[in-house]
Amino acid sequence: MKTEKNYIDRTHTFGSVWSLAVLLVLIAVPLSFCINYNVWPTLKEIGSGLLPVAVLFYPTAIIEVIAYSPLLGAGGMYLSFTTGNISNLKLPCALAAMDTAKVKSNSEEGEVITTIAVATSAIVTTIIIAVFVLAFRPFIPRLTDPSSILSPAFKQVMPALFGALGASYFSKHWKISVAPILILTVIVIISGGIGTGVLIPIGVVISLAGAFAMYKLKLI
Amino acid sequence: MMDFRENSFMLALGLTVVAFILAQSAAFLIRAVKRGNQIGLSKSVMKNTVIQSVLFTVTPALAIVATIIALTPALGIILPWIRLSVIGNITQETAAASAAVEAASNGAASLSVPITDEKTFATVMWVMTLASSLPLVILPLCLKRIQHGMNKAIGKSGDSKLTDTLAVAAFIGLIAAFIARALAGKGTGIQAADGTVTYNYDGAGLMSVATLVISVVIMLILSKTAEKRNIKWLQNFAMPISMFAAMGFAVLLSQILPEAIAHFEFRAPIIS
Repeated sequence: MKTEKNYIDRTHTFGSVWSLAVLLVLIAVPLSFCINYNVWPTLKEIGSGLLPVAVLFYPTAIIEVIAYSPLLGAGGMYLSFTTGNISNLKLPCALAAMDTAKVKSNSEEGEVITTIAVATSAIVTTIIIAVFVLAFRPFIPRLTDPSSILSPAFKQVMPALFGALGASYFSKHWKISVAPILILTVIVIISGGIGTGVLIPIGVVISLAGAFAMYKLKLI
Repeated sequence: MMDFRENSFMLALGLTVVAFILAQSAAFLIRAVKRGNQIGLSKSVMKNTVIQSVLFTVTPALAIVATIIALTPALGIILPWIRLSVIGNITQETAAASAAVEAASNGAASLSVPITDEKTFATVMWVMTLASSLPLVILPLCLKRIQHGMNKAIGKSGDSKLTDTLAVAAFIGLIAAFIARALAGKGTGIQAADGTVTYNYDGAGLMSVATLVISVVIMLILSKTAEKRNIKWLQNFAMPISMFAAMGFAVLLSQILPEAIAHFEFRAPIIS
């Protein structure tokens, strides 16, 4: 138990150092550009572009940190929030890995498996993006163009991915699954344009409340 | 003179960022594998986790490449590449770039027109960077406390069955969000200046429901078969196989169905 605590604590220190280092590297990108070309946008120009986006995305970022925290563990969180594409890539990878390895998210085995899954996914994504951007750029539009034969596959990545992932969870825990799927579908019917970033925390809260109620009523 | 958006200076910036991200991911991976060995996780479990994650990642990663291409008319290829490799996601980056271009040009420019002014480009770079960087500040400050608080609450309950149930419920809530969108979400479309609308066919409709159902059915069949006949490799790879098979089915459906039916969506798309 003591070593587990030490490992998680060390992961927080390790992750914090890397997060701050990545932040510095990210800020260095526009800063280097400004120095190189000697162009300096005013704070007002940056602020007027940032404000409408920040109003929407800063609260979402805070909610995402809280909502994903129990699912991704410490290592998975630091790495996921650096490399991005969490809901469509890192989370499904982590969930599938834990399900296949039969480990629990709140165990140290779960912590190790989610970190391995997220790190692998981050490396593969970064390499694929870099290779395709640098080498295959002319071919990408042809692959994903609406007239391409493969276009429907790219449009349906999410249903295919979450269908496979969901089947495993829903078949084992169908009683818990019914309420969140039904309620979220109704929410989407009422508000069709609702973003997945908003829908996920709502889904997690509904599912937790439903599961807790069923557990207390001895229905599961 | 070479386009400043895609010259060797920008390329050097892009490669530096990517090298840094790869180094970070490799450091976390090596550290986790070492810890896995220490606590007795079998090598085959960790190896399968890596292989499954690679398979699960390939197609969504290609979809990300496609979204990078969508941002290139205004921003060139390097900036979207950097932004989508670190923290970014397509919704956020498109919104940030769009707001920044409009602010820097007083509404005179948009994302479909190349940026030719370095200062406007610098403004877009700053806005995209600052819009997405908040988690890198929140995590070092708060994550340890958040997770410590959650673990404390779980420990206090002293009921491991309840905590396991709640952990599963959290996953199901997340998956349900995507299922609900595939069942009932509105698609999107873009209206050009001349009024022509280009539909993305990304809303809930015949294709999304068929892909979802096929993916679920194949997964159930494969996992039951693997369990019944004790086929280890199939147990490990049933999920990626189901995902690729369902996507293949979507391609097949789009080829055999009349276009109007294949593109049928339950609700009118949101046009922007």
